[in-house]
Amino acid sequence: MIDLKDLVRALDQRRVADWTVIQRDEELAVLDETAPRLRRAERRTRWQLTVHVDSADGRGSARVALDGSAEDAGDVVARAAALARASLGSAWQSAPPSAPARVRLTDDALASAEPLAAADGIVRGLKRPGRLAVTATVAVAREQVHAASRDGLRATWLAALARADVLVASAAHSLAITREVRQLADLDLDAALAAAPAELDAIAQASAPTPGPCTLVLATDALLHGGLGVWEAFAHQADAAVERAGLTRYRERMPIAPGADHVHEPLTIASDGALDYATRSAPLGDDGDAVRRFTLVERGIAVGLGLSPREAALRNRDPNGGVRNLVVAAGSWSGAAGDAGPDRVVEIRRLRALAIDPFTGDASLEIALGFAGGKPFTGGTVRLDLIDALARAHRSRTRIRRGAYDGPAAVWIEHAELIP
Amino acid sequence: MNRREVLGALGAASASSLLWALGCGGRQDEAPRAPIAREDQVRAWLHDAVARLAAAGFAAPHALALTRRRTAAANDVLGAAVRRARADAVVLAVRDQDGALREQVTADVSADGVAAAVSALAAAAKPARVDFGRPIIAADGSPQPHDEELLAFADAIRTRDEALNSRIVYRAELVEIDDARVWSVAPGRDLEQRLVRVRQVATRVAWNGTRPIVAEVSRAWLGPAGSDELGKEAIEDATRGALALMTPAAFEDGEHAIVLAPSVVASIIDAAVPALLTTAAMRLPEVARRLELGAGAASAAITLVDDPTAGGNFDAYGGFHFDDEGEPASALMLVDRGHIVGRIADQAGVAAGRAPVAGRGRRPGHVGRVEPAASHLVLAPGTAAQTALRDDGFVLEGALGAVVDPASDRLVVSIARARELAHGNETGRVFGELELVANLGALLASVAAVSKETETFGFRDEVDGRPRWRSIAAPWLSARGTVRARRRPA
Repeated sequence: MIDLKDLVRALDQRRVADWTVIQRDEELAVLDETAPRLRRAERRTRWQLTVHVDSADGRGSARVALDGSAEDAGDVVARAAALARASLGSAWQSAPPSAPARVRLTDDALASAEPLAAADGIVRGLKRPGRLAVTATVAVAREQVHAASRDGLRATWLAALARADVLVASAAHSLAITREVRQLADLDLDAALAAAPAELDAIAQASAPTPGPCTLVLATDALLHGGLGVWEAFAHQADAAVERAGLTRYRERMPIAPGADHVHEPLTIASDGALDYATRSAPLGDDGDAVRRFTLVERGIAVGLGLSPREAALRNRDPNGGVRNLVVAAGSWSGAAGDAGPDRVVEIRRLRALAIDPFTGDASLEIALGFAGGKPFTGGTVRLDLIDALARAHRSRTRIRRGAYDGPAAVWIEHAELIP
Repeated sequence: MNRREVLGALGAASASSLLWALGCGGRQDEAPRAPIAREDQVRAWLHDAVARLAAAGFAAPHALALTRRRTAAANDVLGAAVRRARADAVVLAVRDQDGALREQVTADVSADGVAAAVSALAAAAKPARVDFGRPIIAADGSPQPHDEELLAFADAIRTRDEALNSRIVYRAELVEIDDARVWSVAPGRDLEQRLVRVRQVATRVAWNGTRPIVAEVSRAWLGPAGSDELGKEAIEDATRGALALMTPAAFEDGEHAIVLAPSVVASIIDAAVPALLTTAAMRLPEVARRLELGAGAASAAITLVDDPTAGGNFDAYGGFHFDDEGEPASALMLVDRGHIVGRIADQAGVAAGRAPVAGRGRRPGHVGRVEPAASHLVLAPGTAAQTALRDDGFVLEGALGAVVDPASDRLVVSIARARELAHGNETGRVFGELELVANLGALLASVAAVSKETETFGFRDEVDGRPRWRSIAAPWLSARGTVRARRRPA
């Protein structure tokens, strides 16, 4: 079985232009309350090897993942180099190494407890509402990460991630709560569980939606459906390779939508991969590049892109670790539904599905639970041009921090249409 | 641009396997490694593990070992590449005195590694005497092709395509082999199987106006890699699909008579079965209430079976000889002439009283957490020719993804193209970027006819970097449903 030293030695012996190795020693645990209850423990070691080779025709790159059973470092490196030679592209030079981001990726509890014990603690701590069945599945992963690169960079860090999937069910209805955190204090399951009975009552009373124009309120769970939720549209647009191919909605230094820089509270979004305890934070990127905070959109103007080492080199800039956690500037909207105009207000609490076209930012939002005129409904679709809609949306002044997101807890979007 | 850029920029997300094959993809959780020195030792290690776990007082000790080699050869506009990788693991599963399940997983498939995993579950104990029975070995003598042969298979896909022209801005062909050997040992049960899963894929990309159109066709099976299952007609259909010029007029949203192509039918089945017809889905009260055994759920034209044996041929991509809990393969009727008569179940689902028989306990990559999952789903063909299903309306082709909400039965299927029909003939008008929106039950109840022709599709996705394999044989269906444009008016 190989180790990090074997790989580094093999890479040093092979004439490649640049390389990075990341070793992850992982402990994984799952506790599932679904009958019969399951306790599962797993250990594994993985490596990620990034190799660049230069030739007269340009530079080729390969990223190879290995598990703990790989036996011959020389063979692994030879294969990676061969793959890199098969993927030649434009010539570029690696940037000098930068200091890894200083960021906290686990709290003391997750760092010190056995992962199964940590999962046990999370399950035991659930405040289960009466008269409802609550079934939790908790997974805890802890990893010690070692990074090494050709130019002498050496870094080590500890990271942990806990994920809780909780199913809350009445006799006739159910809802799912999911949280992913790097510190237990962020888990915030108590509030979600406390709100569950009222939400299940609303689902039970929900009628079919009334189609037509409306002003839309996206509450937190709908706004962040599946993780970054509707804000994911901006992550797609900040992909530097896609932008260079001319396939994005807007280019740098342009408004993200016509007039986006002249609205009442222009939108500002940053990527911050060095945000303590955020789920997409890391000291270094997968290519060994230092993770940095950078602005994607500044007061309605596109100003930044996620830059891999290659994209950064081709643009003569510094790499930034790519788009990671999104930090969205809050607005001044109070969050009250009566704040903005006379149109019918539809508040969406939960989505069944969210589909975003990465090229255009067009999205379909399938509604699981909404309120119109204070009455619950379920079903229906809202079609939005997310780039334009979020550029003009009123953002709440209340902020929320969840997973990879830090920003307004809700948004208010005018001129939407609910379709059956 | 390199491949990664090309595929990323073109949004060819479905070509992730190509990215993997060409060594320029993202996450890869598999491992190139030398083979275990003596695979015949694995059975002895597992016997010893089960004997020690039994001696420690655990009920239902089970040991599963895996060695898996994945090989992919890809050929695209930028050249050819081969990638080989290997993943090994041992899973030890027991039931403790409280009836709870405990699992210990290690990637160290060696005598010491297995012993350490046993020790993590139980203090040292003298092995108990356990009768494992006679070993049952399901061998597959499929040869492991050399790199050159694999590349030749990939190249043969390209040469069969005579519809290629200069408007195709990107093309790729992939041959992918997952060669897994699985041992499953428990008291009274000593099983071994080799599953050689083969998938051939052709991807074509052409520009249509301001955006790329990606079309993909694939075939998948269990067995030798050299078959030409992915035939000339299917490949050229994919090429023509990418090249199809869309009618610029706006699509008229509304309820239409529709003919669903097999890829669309398979996509609906692939979304609906896990959401509605498994013992895991039965945990949701909305599903349990609505879909009791015996409930009517579809037109009498619909009969659905999950058959890992593929009629005894054992050649279906999602098939197996025994599941990852050691249950032998057998066909399971799920829907009989529109009525629900069975559920996909693992042993936990049966223990919880949600289904009468297990046999579909499957672990992602054979080593992840057990979940009840289908193997090879077969929607029974009808008697009509698919051309006889056409009248006025639209043929929906090229499924881009389907979502079924288990709570409400709402179905949304993204569709690449709808070909307009009048009196059974294509009018020449083709609309792109549509979605079929329906209540699943209502859509299935509206099925009026089922074609005698079927196509089989292999599906491979990953959970925590571990693959799940399944396949679906689907005919053409005629039905009624609401079809609407996916994109907003310009």
